[in-house]
Parts: sequence; structure tokens; C-alpha cells
Amino acid sequence: MTCGRTAVVFDARGLARVFGTPHEIVAEVRRMAATDGLFVRATVAGTQSAAWLLAHASTDRSVIDPGGEAAALSPLPLSLLKTLSGLCQARPAPGPPGRARRAPLRAHGRHYRLAPGPPCRALSGDEGPGTDEVLAILVRWGLSTLGALAALPRAEIRTRLGVAGVRLHAAACGEDAEPLVPADEPPTFEERLELEWPIDGLEPLSFVLARQFESLSARLERADRGAVCLRTRLGLVTGDTHERTLTLPAPMREARVLRTLVLLDLESHPPPAAIDVVTIRIDVAPGRIDQGSLLDRTGLVPEDISTLMARLGALAGETRVGAPVVVDSHDARRLALVPFRPGPIPRADRPELAGREPSVSIGIAYTMRRFRLPVVVRVAVERGTPVRVDTGSGGLAGGRVVSAAGPWRTSGAWWSRAGAAWDRDEWDVAVEAGPCYRLTRDRATGRWEVEGLVD
Amino acid sequence: MKTAAMSKLEALLETRRLNHTLLRPWLAAAPARTVSSGVAPLDAVLAGGWRLGEVSEVVGAASSGRTCLAVAALAASTAGGRLAALVDTTDRFDPGVAADAGADLTRLLWVRGPAMSPGAARPAMVDRAVRQAVRACDLIVRAGGFSVVVLDLADVPSRRLRLLPHPTWMRLARAIEGQPTACLVIAPTALGRSARGVTVQVSAAPRWQGTSAQSRRLAALEITARFQTAHAVVQSVDLESGGLQNQAALRTPAPSDHRTIGPNRIIGP
Repeated sequence: MTCGRTAVVFDARGLARVFGTPHEIVAEVRRMAATDGLFVRATVAGTQSAAWLLAHASTDRSVIDPGGEAAALSPLPLSLLKTLSGLCQARPAPGPPGRARRAPLRAHGRHYRLAPGPPCRALSGDEGPGTDEVLAILVRWGLSTLGALAALPRAEIRTRLGVAGVRLHAAACGEDAEPLVPADEPPTFEERLELEWPIDGLEPLSFVLARQFESLSARLERADRGAVCLRTRLGLVTGDTHERTLTLPAPMREARVLRTLVLLDLESHPPPAAIDVVTIRIDVAPGRIDQGSLLDRTGLVPEDISTLMARLGALAGETRVGAPVVVDSHDARRLALVPFRPGPIPRADRPELAGREPSVSIGIAYTMRRFRLPVVVRVAVERGTPVRVDTGSGGLAGGRVVSAAGPWRTSGAWWSRAGAAWDRDEWDVAVEAGPCYRLTRDRATGRWEVEGLVD
Repeated sequence: MKTAAMSKLEALLETRRLNHTLLRPWLAAAPARTVSSGVAPLDAVLAGGWRLGEVSEVVGAASSGRTCLAVAALAASTAGGRLAALVDTTDRFDPGVAADAGADLTRLLWVRGPAMSPGAARPAMVDRAVRQAVRACDLIVRAGGFSVVVLDLADVPSRRLRLLPHPTWMRLARAIEGQPTACLVIAPTALGRSARGVTVQVSAAPRWQGTSAQSRRLAALEITARFQTAHAVVQSVDLESGGLQNQAALRTPAPSDHRTIGPNRIIGP
């Protein structure tokens, strides 16, 4: 655990089998520091408070045997307790329970974190005078050494000086308020594989990806994490790299699904050359917990939706699959698609559970089959009304107009850039052959088009 | 009394998972799981709506109301909180109409095929679009979770559809079998419904309101439907005046709120 820029606290248990006695451990630490050009004071004690105070004292003693902390600290000056603030500042701020991942602190290649406990601020300031005030009071009482403070009864200290006084008293006795516990290395979810022979094509790559994702999936499961972003980096034989990033709608960790998603993405965006290095990196989020219900319908889980979207995207194009959106415009030709991410399926009613759903009546007078590429036609007009539609050799049936309604005039976007504006007259016509069309006449050019088919 | 040959034949069909094609009185009388078609008269005729786990068809000529029935099914399904999918082979879907009908568009998966002008697209392009649409429909059906899947082949010429290999529809029927999904194929002619599916042949006549061209409006399509299943006789029903129930189901006002009549101008957003 690093404390500021000048102190490091680490757990030396077990080092005796490597270096020998505590004195030899201290000597080894000094030697290693000297190798890096640092002159350090190293101490070993049974508690971190005792080791801390001893290291900050001007004394030649460097080792306190377990159980002898109070006696060893007894002659040290009371002012040393001011240095404890550095130890307190190294502790991370308290976060939500069960969620805070304390910042890992590196010392001698290992990581430690402080065990959950009362925060320093609460000990020092919230329930009474602060550390400096308590020390000033102790000095006014005539105390000058840690031993003198340790000799006072703690209950009386608690009554008169509050929690901050108790903390200083415990430190003077060589006791720790919070023990050191090791913290796990923050996991990184990355797999890199250098291939002996370059591979060309997605089929052999799928075997490589399967191996990598099985390992990653197991690690994700152990860490209770799910992948939210897949970063695929392919090293090519040409020396270039082919990178793809795939953002997932929900955390997931099933190896088969992740491999399929990456393969489908690479199918749409294949690497330009053979591959000799495959690196998969996963950005993670806390795992998703789904609780099924006997009363709710089972719907598509996000893994299924992602896989389906990837498959459809590879088949029809990523921009051609999604949920439609009604654009806020009077131009009926405008439309938009958004990613298909339906919400949860509402609870089923009893008739649905019985397999027979209630009849629903949807009021639709007619629908329009819109031609995204409008068909240019010739229209004969008499007294302002279309009387005949000539569709040429296209697939639409033309002929005499038996009934027509219109015109409805729409226009808009005249204030925007050229090409976005429209100004049209619309007609609904029924031709003799049977079909009903929506015709438009561009008021600027006079061109007639079939915009859609009533159906 | 069943003969040995008949028993052997039934066993063979059961081995091939084709026993559902057998005409058995107790099976025909059993209520099928259905999803509402969104049109009350149609639900009445179909005993609840489109059958789940089956491929049904809506066939007819242009302006016969095929898309009306498809959009009604999609709207009814999504409005009830379920998922629906539309495989739009030739990219003809109008989201505004579906939204006006009450569809929850966030629950509608729209797979858009290539935009093609009617009659102007090359045959190879049409064939590719059809194959792609059938493949997309197969993927959606196999994924499960969708209440209604509509495969829109309405603007594909019949001669191009006939080029599809016949097992295409058998594979689709096999994929949807047993799933809580109703597959609806919109086509100009009957293609290949599944054994328990239904073919609805529709025709329609436009109904106009108003006397002059300026005051006239297309009010609705009056749709007449003929039904055909493997187990039932063909019957014809006028969905507007068939005397079934809720005869005004298709008589709602036309969605023309966004337009104005006469010299008024509508300025965009």
C-alpha cells in the first residue's frame, strides 16, 4: 500500500522463508531500495501502526517483536501521532457497500487494500475534536510520550476526547484499527494468440476464436462479469492490423454467442490479408441476473437478439435491419431505422396462457405500399384531374382513371439546402385495371410519379 | 378399421414428422393456438386468428388489401406487447400507417430488402432479394420469440416466385412447427402454406367518399376474403359486410390527417 509519495506499507508475512529473520528482511528491503538509488527507513512490526510510528521516529530500532509493540513505542514522542494522518489518507473513501472496488495499491509486486472499516474521517473529526485538537489537549495535559498516552484508560479517553482520542490511544498502544488484506489484481480480459501459420478465411479463424472465447468466458464467469464491448485486433501478414469493435446491447458471456457475433462482424468486414495474430479484448460490466417467471412470457434474451441482428445484418446489411421510426416530418417519403432493442415483455393474461388470445380489432382503412424509388409515369389531365395513367413498360398496370381524389398539396424544407425541399400535389387514383395508386406531381418540374400502391 | 397398410403409412409419416398432415377428426376438432389477426371478422372465421406454428398465406392482386391484413396482424401483435417481424422483400413498408394503426414500432423488427422499382428491377436482382428474404424469415423464425412474422413477397412477380425450389416452403414449415409464432406470407399467388395453415385469397374494391375530385377521398378498401385450409371447405366472407361481427373493423377513417385539401400549404418540421 502506497501512502503518499514517501511511504509504503506491505504485508511481510511469509517472507521469513525467503529472506530469513525480520532483520534480514529489513536489510533486503534497504538493499533493493539502494539498488534503485533510494535511501529508506524500513521497519517490521506486528501491526501497521507500530511499524509506521517506528519508521517515522528517529531511532535505530527497526524491528518490533510481536506483542512488544506498546513497550517499543513507549519512549517515542507524542508528536509522532501527527504522522498517522498519512496512513489515514491512503485509505480510499467509503463507497456503496459491495460495489466499491478499492483502488489497488502496489507494494513489492503484490496488491493490498484496507479491509472495510470505519472511515478515517469519521474517526478523526465527525464525532468530536480532530486529531490536531486532541494532540493539543494531550500536550496541555502534560503528556509527552506515547507510553504516557497508552497508560491512560481508554474508556476515559473515549469519554473526554471522543473517537479521535481512542484512535490515537490505540495507535500509541501499537494496535491497528483496520488490518491489511490483499486485494486482487484488477482482471483484464484479453486473449492473444500468435499463430504458427497464417490463416486465411473465417472458417479456420472460428476455431481460434472458439478457443479464445472459451477461456475468456470462463474468466468472465469467475469474475461475475459480462462482455459489453468486444475489441478484435487481427495482426495481418502484411504488417497491418485489422481492428473491429463490437458493442453489445447487454452484458453477456456465452462463448458461442460471442464467437458468432465476432465472426458475423468479420464476415461483413473481412480482413484484407491472412492473419497471424489474433487478439481479443473485452470490456466488461457486472453480470446480468435474469429471473424467469412462470407467469411471464418467455421472450428473446439479449444474446439471442444480438445474434439475430448480427446474422440479419450480415445477410441484408447492417443499415437495413432495425425497428422503424416515424420521422417528425410531413414528407411521407422520409423514414428511419433504429437498433431493435425491445423492452421486456409484459405479463401475460390468463387467456394467453391458455393458448387462445383475445381478438383485437385494428382499424386500418387501407395501407400504402411505398415505392422508395418512385416510378415516373405519364398522366393525361383534363380540367385539372388525371384521366389516364401511362406506366410504360413497367410492372404497374395503367390505363383509364375511373376515380380520382385530390390534389393534396404538401411542401416543406424549402428553407434547407437544395435537394431536401419538396413541393408536390398528391392524387389518389383508381385505374380501370383495378389498382389504386398515389400519384404525385412535382410542382417545380411537372413530373408525375407513382409514389405508392394502395393495398 | 385401419388396415395394415394404412397403419404402416401412418407410422412412416410419423417417422418423417409428417403425421400432422393426416386428416383426423379429433385433430381437426381440437382448438388450435392462435394469435389475433387484428381484424375481428377474420378472427371469427379463423377461430381466433392466425395459427401459431403454421405458415399461412394472404394472396391477391394489387390493391386487394393484402398489406392491410399484414399490417393489422403486426399492429395487433405489437400493441399487445409481443414481438413481430416484417421481412420486406422489396422495401414497401410504410411505418406511418402501422403507427397510426396502433402498432408499437419498438417491438417491430423490420428487415428491408433492396429498394426496387416495380417491373424495372433485373430478374437476377429480384431472385437474389427473394432468396435473401426467405433466408431472413427462416432466421427470424428459428430465433423464436416473435409472435408474428410476415414475409412480404407481394410485389415479386409470380414467375420469379415459382423459381424457388419447392422444399423452401417445407423447410420454413418445419422450422416454425411447434413454435409460438405465426408466419404470414404475402404473395400474389398461393405458394406453399403449411399443412395446418390457411390461405386467404383477398380481393377489394375502393370506397370513395365525396362527389367532386376536390372533395372526394379514398375512404377504405372493401375487402372480400376466401379461405382455404387442408381440413375445411372453401368459404367466402366479405370482411366488411360478411355479417360476422364487428363489421366496422375496416371502416375507420383514412389516415389523412397529415394532408390538407386545397390551397393550404403544409410546411415541414
